[in-house]
Amino acid sequence: MSMANNRALLRRGAGCLLGGALLLLAAARIHGAETRLFSFATSKGLAVKVLQDNDLPFLHAELLVYLDGSTQNYQSLAITQLALLDMFDRSLNSPPSNLMDMLQRQGGDFSVEQNPEFVRIRFNFLPDRLGAFSRLLREIFTYQSFHLGKFNLSKEKFWTLFMSGRDWRKEIALMLAYQQLAGNFYFTRGFLLRETLNGINMAQLRSFVLRTFRPDNALLVIKGKLNPYLVLGMIEKDLPPPEPRAAQPRREPVQANPGRKVFILNVDTPDPPTVYWFDVAPPAAADAFLPYAIGNFSLFGFPGGRIYHSQRNRFAMEGYKVDTETIHLRDFTLFCNYVRLNYGDLEDFLMLVDQERKKFTVRPVERKEYLDALNYYVGHALVKTGSPDSDLQSVIDSFHGQVARQEAPRIGPELFQEVSHAKVLQAIDEQMGANHRNNGRERGIVVLVGDADQILNSLKSLKTEALELSLD
Amino acid sequence: MIKTRLFLWLLLAPLITLSAQTLAVSTFELPNGLKVILAPSPGMQAAAVCVYHMRGARQEPPDARGIAYLYQYLMFDGNQNLEPFDHVLFINKMGGVVSGRVNYDNAVFYDLLPAQEINVALWLESERLKSLRLNDANIDDQKSQIVSRFGRLLETNPAYRAQTWVSAKVFEGSAYEVPLYGDLNRLRSLSNDRVRDYYQYFQNLGNVLLIISGRFDINELRAGINRFFQDIPPGRRAAAPAFSAQNPRRAHVVKNWLLPGLKKHFVVYGIKAPARIGYNFMYFDFLRTYLTDPRLSRLQTILNTVNKLDVEIESFFSDYMEANCLIIQVSSPRRFNLEKAKYIIDKEFQALASNPIGNNDMKAVRSLMELDFLKGMASLEDRCLRIGEFYHMFNDLNFFDDQLKRLRRIVPYDVMESAKKYLAKPNQVILNVYGE
Repeated sequence: MSMANNRALLRRGAGCLLGGALLLLAAARIHGAETRLFSFATSKGLAVKVLQDNDLPFLHAELLVYLDGSTQNYQSLAITQLALLDMFDRSLNSPPSNLMDMLQRQGGDFSVEQNPEFVRIRFNFLPDRLGAFSRLLREIFTYQSFHLGKFNLSKEKFWTLFMSGRDWRKEIALMLAYQQLAGNFYFTRGFLLRETLNGINMAQLRSFVLRTFRPDNALLVIKGKLNPYLVLGMIEKDLPPPEPRAAQPRREPVQANPGRKVFILNVDTPDPPTVYWFDVAPPAAADAFLPYAIGNFSLFGFPGGRIYHSQRNRFAMEGYKVDTETIHLRDFTLFCNYVRLNYGDLEDFLMLVDQERKKFTVRPVERKEYLDALNYYVGHALVKTGSPDSDLQSVIDSFHGQVARQEAPRIGPELFQEVSHAKVLQAIDEQMGANHRNNGRERGIVVLVGDADQILNSLKSLKTEALELSLD
Repeated sequence: MIKTRLFLWLLLAPLITLSAQTLAVSTFELPNGLKVILAPSPGMQAAAVCVYHMRGARQEPPDARGIAYLYQYLMFDGNQNLEPFDHVLFINKMGGVVSGRVNYDNAVFYDLLPAQEINVALWLESERLKSLRLNDANIDDQKSQIVSRFGRLLETNPAYRAQTWVSAKVFEGSAYEVPLYGDLNRLRSLSNDRVRDYYQYFQNLGNVLLIISGRFDINELRAGINRFFQDIPPGRRAAAPAFSAQNPRRAHVVKNWLLPGLKKHFVVYGIKAPARIGYNFMYFDFLRTYLTDPRLSRLQTILNTVNKLDVEIESFFSDYMEANCLIIQVSSPRRFNLEKAKYIIDKEFQALASNPIGNNDMKAVRSLMELDFLKGMASLEDRCLRIGEFYHMFNDLNFFDDQLKRLRRIVPYDVMESAKKYLAKPNQVILNVYGE
């Protein structure tokens, strides 16, 4: 027997022993009304966070697989998407793959979402499928069921699948924002061409999956009525040890460039135009994030935001409501504020937002505004306790922040305990303060989506960069 | 290896508990007839306050159809002490959510908010029940909005038009035949006095349930309920609507439409399905999940994965209490593919009626349905809705365990019998819509 085989046997034995020991530890069942967080770094390299919530009658898990450095050009973007289709798309399960069978047996309630930084796979399943879940993870981390027929089919069906059920306008607006913020980095997703897609071969997919879908390149967060040691034991037992690989180049943090740019995305539609207003904030794990969020809320938050109450607001935002989506990335957070307006109101809206942002320097966030925003965020966090994924984002953000301190990350409403009025004022000053404007650094990226001619007719004083794309 | 696994399972077996839980529910009634149902969930920090009307469009007078649907919008249009949408703003400001809908069988309005603010929701809901603003201006405004919205939808969306037609055919002769918004012309000319008068029946407290779920202190909550709801006048009494499973006429209907400018040809199947109050409902629901749930869709597998027809499949289920309709829409730009899809669907329906579903599929569907049921019970607003529906249909509040047990006991034979009965030709209405 070779040395390599001996080592493999030893590793397996050690894994079994550790798993057994943890299972014995699990014999004591833990009860408690509040959600408790347990963090583990497994011997297989997978970071595991267990949120013990004894009130949740099923289990919710999220697996994040990181894409660092793998989506730098159109081709690698397409490889990622094809690999995800191959692995997780139900309609492409011909010939049937073991992974898809296991996913169906697990209950079939899963979804896959691709972010510029990671692939996020969400699962809901019954508690009696916990044992099978760790085997499902092993299947994901050892997936190699590529088949030429299925691969070719996935290429053929790529466009249909890719287009169905997606908000393309928003996605392209986001791409433009990423492009402007981070330049030629991995956020630059670009637009995939059919020729690029056709040039991809199966070996590239195989290599991508081998390189990316590894326990030491992933984070698992699992929530429910669980014994954390039991979960850890199962993972130790079932997961394969990671294959050795060359040291990964250290990922340089992204310096976002939030300088003002206005884009027009021309689409042929009878619908009213949509304004996307992007602002950059520190990453969610940073102390400065929540003050920024409160600042954004004081401006756009409905119904208390300044844009709804401004004296200069000629059209009084009647009937309009700005929605805000927060996109959490590892190096910064993106606030995507968007609203659908009539063409005639476009310029008024943009001017109003700018004027109100400038006014923050002479009339900073008032105590009442600060309390209103805090009240909203705390209330929202409390309301979300009813949702199975309520605490997961803060756990993930905290993991991304590489928090050095040993204490558990704050989850739910506790997040807001340390946000003072003074911190909010400082954040607003950094975001919209006079210093930045004096340096010619007006902030905020604006993407206007609609009929370009009508948009340009309605904008008289704004310099824009027109971009024409067909969405047919 | 086998021994190791056995050892592990012996260790695990007592640790893994099945998710059967009993829902702790208590009830009481106020002197004005309002029934209150409390479902505490101390582990959460939120609460849901739900007003469940056991009346919907089904009980409307035939010459005033659409009146209940009008209330869905008028409910947020202010009352004696609050301006339009103040209710929504109050709840939004504290990070909460407001929603509501009127259906054929019931009408549900709820507020989801931080637990400590529960009295605000009680006050807002009591204001709505007590003094809904029903003046000519806001009734006219809501009527014209409904008429223009659905008028436009019917005019511009052939799929919506086709589905409405199929649904009306399936429910022909039953209370569900007319769309929820009634006849748009009649709604436009409906007298506002009629809208005000019928509201007295609609909000009769004998037909309203106040359901509260989440974290609360029972004594404080009872005090709040008494304070805000005990003075509400009971409304005009009407006989409590009685249930009877309706059996719409069985006749195989096939119709073709030719529409100019259509990019994709499509076919709409309307399948008559059992009532939610019927014992057979769960078997059909099982079959429906197997066929159409996008997480498991058998139709997707046989049409697109196996036969590679590249058709789009959409499905809708009515989920009504006295009769139901499953709508399946299959569309494709290629007519040949659509015809082939219809042939395959026909064969699949026949196969399901004559062969039991395999064990693996049974397990997958059962687990998915159980998961959906538990997810519904974990969400406060869904829990209120289910409690209300089960009380409304069966006068039963201890449905949780029963439902799970029944679901776990379904066998392939039950599903096959359901397919035999409901997927048969006389139970189908088929509308083919082709581009000219």
